[in-house]
Amino acid sequence: MPLYESVYIARPDISSTQVEALTADMTKIVEDNGGKVTKEEYWGLKSLAYRIKKNRKGHYSLLNIDAPPAALTEMERNMRIHEDILRYMSIRVDEHEEGPSAMMQSKSSRDDRDRDRDRGRGRDDDSGPEKTASPVPAPASAAAAAEVPAEPVISDDAPASDSKDTEE
Amino acid sequence: MSRRPFFRRPKSCPFSGDNAPKIDYKNVKLLQRFTSERGKIVPSRITAVSAKKQRELSTAIKRARNLALMPFLIN
Repeated sequence: MPLYESVYIARPDISSTQVEALTADMTKIVEDNGGKVTKEEYWGLKSLAYRIKKNRKGHYSLLNIDAPPAALTEMERNMRIHEDILRYMSIRVDEHEEGPSAMMQSKSSRDDRDRDRDRGRGRDDDSGPEKTASPVPAPASAAAAAEVPAEPVISDDAPASDSKDTEE
Repeated sequence: MSRRPFFRRPKSCPFSGDNAPKIDYKNVKLLQRFTSERGKIVPSRITAVSAKKQRELSTAIKRARNLALMPFLIN
């Protein structure tokens, strides 16, 4: 049986569990027609490079399929009818790539970076105001409380005594 | 010895040789290196991609465009 790769984009309004259900439906159609799905990948909600049916984002899913051509045409027919699917593309490949696809690899690295950046930003956001709010005024007030009485007393005493001394 | 004018160092195809990246429509980051700022496919005489690989590359870019992974045009 020929090997296929099928990618479809689902509407952004639906949840990721609904996308999984959709993938399960498509898998069932393939299996009913004597094929099998060797791998499923959910790429997540990605922003589209251009608008499709007025949508700016979409849920991307990839299916690696080993099925007779009839099964694939049947699946494509169902995808065409389905309202939640914005676009699909099935291509025949000589061999399925093993392991996660380039998209998943780049996505995971990007997610890590995003998460790091978000975490960094969140940490900054969280710690920034705290630092400015609590530690800065507290030492300032403490320093003011500690230094203000101490310094003027000394300075007052010193010049006062000096002036008194000089005056006297 | 000064550099000869109009001398171009022979460039090698970035997709041939060992550990060359595999051309794949899903690898958008790789494909983006072979498109211009406006999203056009860069000719192989500039990128030094071999003719065979350039055909593969253009197919991959067009597939990525169809799936809205890459833009058809950037204004």
